Formats: sequence, structure tokens, C-alpha cells
Amino acid sequence: MAALSELGAPRSGPPAVNAVHETGGPDDALVRAAQHGDRIAFGLLYARYSRMVHGILLARVPFSDVDDLVQDVFLQALPRLTTLREISRFPGWLASIARNRATDFHRRTKPTDEFDEQSDSAQSSTSAPSANHSSHSSAEAHAALDAIRSLPDTYREPLILRLVEGMTGPEIAARTGLTHGSVRVNLHRGMQQLREILGRKASPPTGGAQ
Amino acid sequence: MTKNPTNPENEKMLNDDYLWNASGTPDPEIQRLESLLADFRQADRALILPAQIPAAPRRFRALLIPMLSLPRLAAAAGILLAAGLTLFFFTRPKPAPEAGPAWDVANLQGSPQIGAKAIAANQAAAKLHVGQTIVTNADSRASLSQADLGEIRIDPNSRVRLVQTDANRKRIQLDVGTIHAAIWAPPGTFVVDTPSAVAIDLGCSYTLHVSPDGSGELHTTYGWVGFHLHGRDSFIPAGAMCSTRPALGPGIPYFEDATPAFREAVAQFDSNSENSADRSAALAKILSEARAHDALSLWHLLSRANATERAEVCARFAALVPPPNGVTRAGILNLDQSMLDLWWNSLGLGEISTWRFWQQSAYPQPSANTQELLQKKQSLSKP
Repeated sequence: MAALSELGAPRSGPPAVNAVHETGGPDDALVRAAQHGDRIAFGLLYARYSRMVHGILLARVPFSDVDDLVQDVFLQALPRLTTLREISRFPGWLASIARNRATDFHRRTKPTDEFDEQSDSAQSSTSAPSANHSSHSSAEAHAALDAIRSLPDTYREPLILRLVEGMTGPEIAARTGLTHGSVRVNLHRGMQQLREILGRKASPPTGGAQ
Repeated sequence: MTKNPTNPENEKMLNDDYLWNASGTPDPEIQRLESLLADFRQADRALILPAQIPAAPRRFRALLIPMLSLPRLAAAAGILLAAGLTLFFFTRPKPAPEAGPAWDVANLQGSPQIGAKAIAANQAAAKLHVGQTIVTNADSRASLSQADLGEIRIDPNSRVRLVQTDANRKRIQLDVGTIHAAIWAPPGTFVVDTPSAVAIDLGCSYTLHVSPDGSGELHTTYGWVGFHLHGRDSFIPAGAMCSTRPALGPGIPYFEDATPAFREAVAQFDSNSENSADRSAALAKILSEARAHDALSLWHLLSRANATERAEVCARFAALVPPPNGVTRAGILNLDQSMLDLWWNSLGLGEISTWRFWQQSAYPQPSANTQELLQKKQSLSKP
């Protein structure tokens, strides 16, 4: 927004482009520039990482609150950026802030407003997407999201990043700081469990009908 | 992870290319889930940074290490005592912020409220600060004003929050209710967030209504307004209106003097999914009822229609408003942005570069240093 567009020039001068180029990848260079007060660099980091933050939050909090919390996460990260010593750990560091923000969200939310999978689904008409969907497919979308959210943490985060945010496995690994191997295993096992859950929902047991 | 091909799970995983990186044979179930869940995807909302960045919280360890000597420990004890006393006096709940930039508020009727405080009818200096919300009930109305922005009148049963006010951007959030905005700030300065779209003033006055279900309606009386959500843009010039619904975003705008059949058909087109019979019928009605003036709606239809529909819309549009030089049928069917912009400009409803400028300022571009760096990286990564 305006605050970003007005701040292209760093306050105290980031490392020279060539030096940055030789010592780190583009993300590292952006993090370093952002640490030196370059808000445009921070804006670029936002552009690159906001999908990941969105996915991490969507795995944990109601859809209607996710956009605001994404902003919160980056606003929390900005002043703390100077405390990040190992620049290469930026992805994992940012992901931790997002997870902590989600935890904090639940801690601060009044009991009556607590995230509840059922009510979250039920309020789809006001807080969740219905774009281009009939009410039937919107309900199906909610059911699918709820099914992913019912998976263990390890699986639901990569699955949301893959299926909702449209990131590929390698992108997820790069953005979250996890290894390709762990992301691939988690995606694979998570998808297996998700298929089982969705399969059960599609064909409920017919016990009693003799 | 090391893949052991003798392990059946690993073997399956090796065939999971579509799940892994969207390559290989598409998995129909994953494709279906991707399509179903796409609307939960992150909207293209820009980051709003404060003008002043708060100081980073200092690490406890960094504070502790310099204090590890006896005189300093004594001083630390004193500081802790003082901090305890301070904490004692300051732990009560605090009201919403009443400092920093603010807009003037006037009571036009009844008792509008900012937080728990009612604004008296004759109150001279009521202010709405960033972060505060003004609420009107069924019997009250209020106005917000700011010298270099304009005036916003708030109707009964409305809730408006001041989100941002600085030299380049004034932003409010309309949760519910109706506002009438008369803006003299430069185009692109005044932005209203609603639950279903973002309204960007492009030099105008307009009325914006948000229903309790989050849907909205915008009527422009002078100049034009941009309505934006999820990469979907609608431009609403004077005399036109546009509806918006949560997640769907802004619909197709139309002039309020269009025939009832045309207006009904636009609403039908907006609310029916692609390939439905109702949508086909609605499109046919739109095209048969359209006057030259309704090219506004047809221009928006070009980018909302599927390929088959687009060819029909393009033909009707060209019959009503001949395309200017530089615009070809093939380019329009491929949604060439520069050609669409040229055709829009030929309608005489507003210069689209204003909007493109707003988009560029809303979504930060790389600084010169960063651009140079990225270009070098890209050239290095090329084989």
C-alpha cells in the first residue's frame, strides 16, 4: 500500500547488490535489505511468503479471520527482523510467528467465539467463499477443508499449502524451511488419510438395514 | 528422505508426482479438491505497514548479560521494584487509542457513538482516531471529514472503522450500513474495505451500502469508482451501479437507466455458474437488450465470460462500439490487457491508466537495487 510504495530507499543502506548477490540467494538478500529498513524488500518478502503464512493460519483458525491475521504476522515480524541472526532461517522463523499467532488467536478469543469446526462451516454464507459455487459445492468445499483440518498438524499444513494455496511440494519446502523429503512424506501420508476420511464420508455405514 | 524402492509406500510415493509438483498424470481426486478449495486461497490483499515501525522487543538474554555484576544486580532490583509499582498502576483495561492522526466527526442526528462514548449534538471537537469505530443506530447519523480528503456521511445502522490516514492513503472499513462519500483527494487515495470488495475512489462521489450478510451495492453519482476483490475489478462510472457479494466480489456494473430486463439478466449472469442454462439465457438477454451506453457492462463481460461466451460478447460489443485502432478480435478473445484498456478508454468513461497506477502503488514494486539483483539472478539461472 502507500506506506510501502513511499519507502523504496533504505534508511542506512543495505549491503551492496553485488556483495549480497555473491553471499546469498534472492530471499537472503531481501531479508538483509529489509533488516536495513528497506520496506520495498519487506513488501517483496510479503509477496513471496504471504501464501505460506495464509496456509499455516488457515490450517488453524477460521477462514474469516485469516486475512487479518496474515497482516498481523507480517506486522509482528517487521520490527523483530533485526533480531534474526541467521538469515537463511527466515522461512522457518516466519512460519513460527504464524503458528504462534494462531495459538495466540485461540487464547485471546472468548469462549463463545472459540473456533468450532461445525459453526465455522455453518457460517459459510457470511464468512467463507461461495464464489462460483452452488450451496452444494460450497458445503462440499467446507467439508473438504474440515477434513484436512482434522488431520494431524504435520499433515494438514502441507496439504493446505498444496491443495488450497496451490503451492508445489518444492515450493512448500523452500518456503517453510523443511526438507523436500519431509514435505513429500507428509503430503503423501496426509493425502492417504484425507482420501480415507473423504471416502468414509462419501459412503457412510449402512448398519441396521437388514 | 531416502527413497527405498522396495518399500511399497515409497513406491507409491514415487508415483505421486502430481501431488508433489503438479506434474505427471493428474490425479482426478486431487484436481477436484484443488478446484473445490480454490476459493479459500489467499486473496491478493496488499500489506499495510504503519508509518512508524515499533521498536523490536529486546531479548531477555541481551538485557541479562550486562547486568551480571553486583552493583548492577542492585540496580536491577530497584528497576524491578519500580516496574512492579508501574505495573500496579497500569494494568487496568485501557480504552481505544485516542492519540495520533484522526478525522473530524460531526453528529448529524441522534447519538452516534465512538466506542462507548456518545457524540453530543453540539460537540465541537469529536475525533475518530485510527483503530476506532463509529457506530450509528436506527436514529442517528454522523459525518467524517478530513481537510485534504473530503466528507463521508454515515447513515443510520452503520459501523465504520478508521483504518489508516496518512499522506498517501486514507482507508476506512465499512462493516455494515451506508456511507455517502464526496471525495476531493487525488484518485486512488481513498479506499473503503467492505466484507465483499474494496472500493477505490477514482475522483468522485458515491454511495456504498453493505448489508448484514456482507453483500454490498455501490452507486456512483460523479466521477468513477473501482471495485476490487481477488483480482476481479469492476469500474463504476457516474450513473452506474455494481453489486458485490462475499467471496464472489464485484459483479458486472451497469447503468441504472438500463432496461429492467437488462439489469435482471446481469444479476442472473453474475449469480449463475459457468455452463448453466440460466447463465446462457441471461447472456442472450444481455446481448439483445444492450444499448451503446451498456458497453460498460459488455466490456466487463469480456473478462468474466468463458471463451465461447466471449466471442459472442465481443461481436455485440464491436457492433455497438467499434474497436479503436490497435484492438483486434484475436487480441480481445485472448484478453490482451493493453487492447482491453484501449477499448475501455474509447468508451469515454474514465482513463484506465488511473486504475493501473493505483494497482502499481497498491502492490509494491521492487526497489532499483532489488530489481537489479533479481535480474542478475534470473540471467544466471538461465541455461
